[in-house]
Amino acid sequence: MLDPGGPAARSISMLWWGMLIAFTAIFALVMALLALAWRPARDGAARSSSERTWIIGLGLVFPSVILISLLAYGLWLGERLIPRDDPDVTRVTAEARRWSWTFSYDQNPGRTTLNVLHIPAGRPVDVAITTADVIHSFWVPRLAGKLDAIPGHVNVLRIEADLPGTYAGQSAEFSGPGYDGHTFSVVAHGPEDWQSFLEGGL
Amino acid sequence: MSSLARHRGLTAIWSSERGWKGWFSTVNHNDVGLMFLVTASFYFLVGGILAMLIRAQLATPHSAFAGPEIYSQIFTMHGTIMMFLFAIPMIEGLAIYLLPKMLGTRDLAYPRLTAYGFWCYFFGGAMLLISLLFGIAPDGGWFMYPPLTGKIYSPGINTDFWLIGITFVEISAICAAVEFTVTILKYRAPGMTLGKMPIFAWYMLVVSLMILTGFPPLILGSILLELERAFGMPFFQVELGGDSLLWQHLFWLFGHPEVYIIFLPAAGVVSTILPVMSSTTLLGYRWVVAAAVALAILSFGLWVHHMFTTGIPHMGLAFFSAASTLVAVPTAVQVFAWIGTMWKGTPHLRLPMLHILGFFVTFVIGGLTGVMVAVVPFDWQVHDTAFVTAHLHYVLFGGFVFPVLAGIYYWLPLVTGNRRFFRLGEMAFALIFVGFHVTFLAMHWVGLMGQRRRISTYAPEDGWTAINLISSVGGFVMAFGLAMVLIEIVLTLVVRHRAPRNPWRSGTLEWAVPRPSAAYTFASLPRVASRDPLWDDPGLPARIARGEGYLGEPRNGWRETLMVDIASGEPEQHVVYPSNTRLPIVLSAITGLFFLSLLVKVYWLTPIAVAGVVALAWRWIWRLGSKADLGDQPIGHGVRIATVAEVDRPPGWWGSVFLLVANATLFGSLLFGYAFLWTIAPGWPPPAFIQPSVPVLIAAPAGAALALVGALGAVRINRTGGNPSGFLLTALAGGICLSAAFAGLLWGAPSPTGHAYGATVWVLGCYGLAHALLVGLMASFVFARQRAGFVSPRRRAELAIVSVWGAYLLVVTCLIVLAVYLPGLVT
Amino acid sequence: MKDLLRILVSPVIWLASFSAIYALHGLVCAVDPGMPGPGIAWPRLVLSLAFGLAILVQIGLLALLASARFGAAPGFVRFVSLAGGWVGLVATVWTLIPTLATTPCG
Repeated sequence: MLDPGGPAARSISMLWWGMLIAFTAIFALVMALLALAWRPARDGAARSSSERTWIIGLGLVFPSVILISLLAYGLWLGERLIPRDDPDVTRVTAEARRWSWTFSYDQNPGRTTLNVLHIPAGRPVDVAITTADVIHSFWVPRLAGKLDAIPGHVNVLRIEADLPGTYAGQSAEFSGPGYDGHTFSVVAHGPEDWQSFLEGGL
Repeated sequence: MSSLARHRGLTAIWSSERGWKGWFSTVNHNDVGLMFLVTASFYFLVGGILAMLIRAQLATPHSAFAGPEIYSQIFTMHGTIMMFLFAIPMIEGLAIYLLPKMLGTRDLAYPRLTAYGFWCYFFGGAMLLISLLFGIAPDGGWFMYPPLTGKIYSPGINTDFWLIGITFVEISAICAAVEFTVTILKYRAPGMTLGKMPIFAWYMLVVSLMILTGFPPLILGSILLELERAFGMPFFQVELGGDSLLWQHLFWLFGHPEVYIIFLPAAGVVSTILPVMSSTTLLGYRWVVAAAVALAILSFGLWVHHMFTTGIPHMGLAFFSAASTLVAVPTAVQVFAWIGTMWKGTPHLRLPMLHILGFFVTFVIGGLTGVMVAVVPFDWQVHDTAFVTAHLHYVLFGGFVFPVLAGIYYWLPLVTGNRRFFRLGEMAFALIFVGFHVTFLAMHWVGLMGQRRRISTYAPEDGWTAINLISSVGGFVMAFGLAMVLIEIVLTLVVRHRAPRNPWRSGTLEWAVPRPSAAYTFASLPRVASRDPLWDDPGLPARIARGEGYLGEPRNGWRETLMVDIASGEPEQHVVYPSNTRLPIVLSAITGLFFLSLLVKVYWLTPIAVAGVVALAWRWIWRLGSKADLGDQPIGHGVRIATVAEVDRPPGWWGSVFLLVANATLFGSLLFGYAFLWTIAPGWPPPAFIQPSVPVLIAAPAGAALALVGALGAVRINRTGGNPSGFLLTALAGGICLSAAFAGLLWGAPSPTGHAYGATVWVLGCYGLAHALLVGLMASFVFARQRAGFVSPRRRAELAIVSVWGAYLLVVTCLIVLAVYLPGLVT
Repeated sequence: MKDLLRILVSPVIWLASFSAIYALHGLVCAVDPGMPGPGIAWPRLVLSLAFGLAILVQIGLLALLASARFGAAPGFVRFVSLAGGWVGLVATVWTLIPTLATTPCG
């Protein structure tokens, strides 16, 4: 996640760094206010401490402004990341079971691969995620967030890899004793390799 | 009467049996509160040892310390124990011990129920502990997602221990919640209006209402999953019309409020201690109360944020993302009210304050990472990784353990009568604080690098080795600190080093009781005029001991106290509590037998255990009341008020109302589950809907109406001096008619194992049947009481309780008949 | 008891309307989100109307809590119940604004 390899993971990574910086500043502010409570009162005069400053100002207004902006940005980003109709999109299916992944490809209906998902690089891919037994979760940290495989439901996740290469993937929902090794990999191909994969090569 | 004679007289009335035998028969909050605290601390130790095992396992890559099967049990039990056997009981113990003292009354509303709750916790916890010792502990993760926890993938008894053991333990939480609600509303010192209550009481009132509405969804979920596992009723099996997502909804409907159920009492502790440590009053008391109420209710609208990756449409996620950010606002109000309080006063760096500072640092970080995971896209990445584990430990350790440690050091002089002597606490704090942050700050980072939660091992190539090792070292440092705290507590108990009466110069009433607290708590009940009665009148403890308050004269061997009007706090009713009895432990043992019979599947024992519970419950209430009118009782200062048997709204009426709030939430969750399966589960509609039966359609509402009319008529005729027997028999007939109607409904229902629809109809029908039988039983009880001479035009309290249950029965009957038959009518 | 109800009513009604609109959202997406509506997609229309109704209810509650007839007597309870009224109103607007701003069934 800290080393994004696709647009979805990159925007979430930027969101993280932004939040980390902003929240570190907020944390520092709160700690400073806490520390200042210990400074000795000047000539016995009470320090300014009104409900207006502390509760309305710092307690209500200050967090509301930050939270509304963050919420708005989060929703906007979420809207961008959910799968939408796109003529360029490649559709694949991922079926999880204890403890393997079977991938199939809409463009080549007969073809299935075990524990390796092949995708074209630089193009959006919609992964339709299902399960044959318990709940699992499809997660390729460098490409996008995760989405669960739930019995009886099909969930669609949009992923995209910028460059050809191999990306590690793992199931991220506890599924029993084989959970540690419930991993897979995603291989992103350049246009020619992808074409030859579709034609049965590779 | 001298103070000493009063002390002796009251002690004779209020004390438990001498020696260890007293533990089994005590119903006094002074004892039961400490029994809760000690048992909860024991489970903190057990949960802590499991945590150390987890950190030992993860310290190095390819660890062979424990295999995945054992490791799953370890992390499942760590979470389960810390949540259900440590945190909640710790809160219960703290509140049981402190609330009567802070509110200026002598005990909680239902002393025997306090003890019953403790023994349910004790036996239920023992069940889980035994499963751990035998290596057959639950292993599906503390939130137990089916289908992994269904019969197919978890055929062993492990999961059943969780579902049955936790449900058993939850009885104690529900009992405590009913008890706290009624106590805070009705059992206070005269003159204590709502606005003059100690802030901790406000927090506990809010938390109790949350437990009443937060725990029932989990209890329902556990019942449904156990029904599926034991009898094949397919609530969570997608092939048969169930849906595993239903469990997630029910679990998190409980699970999110649970976090605030744990945090709010701790916030109450902070709000109590911090002003005292700053020699001032809490800034914005009324704002803090409003914030606590807001936080409590908002927390019920957050549950889906644990399900952001389950494929719910973006608008659905957006609602919960918005609610999850909003909940940070009332939290911020409290945090800034506390810091403002410190600015207002002069903070002193004493040991409880150190822990409060630890709380601030840790909880603010946990709150900020909480806002991060409330943002949907970020949660998609970090969900189910070590980042979330780290976040939740910041919230729970920061928001609960640090305040509790502050509270322990703050109230230790009250419990033991002693001061600390060896001063290990400061060093212990340093170790805990540093150890904690080393452990969990590192864990955030490794989560961002992709480490999932619940993995039993990892490879060196993952690049997580150094961070995990640092994290483990920190964990062990923290454990040393916590061990030192334990040692210091024991030393303070043992080493006699007398503390002054009010060592922190606090203003609240718990410091007005003898030290250590006497069995009777207050020698007489003070009248209060502000939130800090001890600041108004430092001589108050002495005046209480001299019997200058209410009920200062020991008489008739009665354990007496007062009930007050909710708003004004003026005395309203005179209460005589039951004394020491073994009934609670016996009743909870029989309750345990019921759960045990389900666990080991010895089903012939189940009805016997139910009959035993009914018989003991009958005996339980039979012991109350009197066969003669007592008339208004003098309570001192020339005031005479009625006793609780001779009023319209006795404690049992109040308890019933709040118990029914929990019950209605359970029923509402069931209807929600029905509607959820209908709209979301793939296997719907079912093959056929049940066709309405005309006899049931007539007999069910008629029976329920008859039961209510009988109950109300009995109250009315008794008031005018008539004989209520006829009406009580009418109520009984209504109950029987309704039971027959529900039996008929079940007779015509589809098989409960064929489809989730049939299973749901069965649960609805059985729920109705159980309540019809219960109201019939209540009518019979009051009928028997009337025949035995416990009821008179003055002694009318028991009659009022039946009508509350009768009204509830009528409402649920109509809803059940509608829910079961409407689909068949429409299609 | 009445005082307790005054304090709790607005936030509890928020919770009810929040849950109801979430359920309504599940329902409209389960039926047929593709069906054409008058100008805007019908799921959004239904949900926005429900959102408006929830806001009106909260404003009404706030007015009641502030009124002399149903509100609490001046003092602590009045302050907390009015705060509760504002919490209900703000929570309704804040948490249900996604009905206007996000994709209903995607």
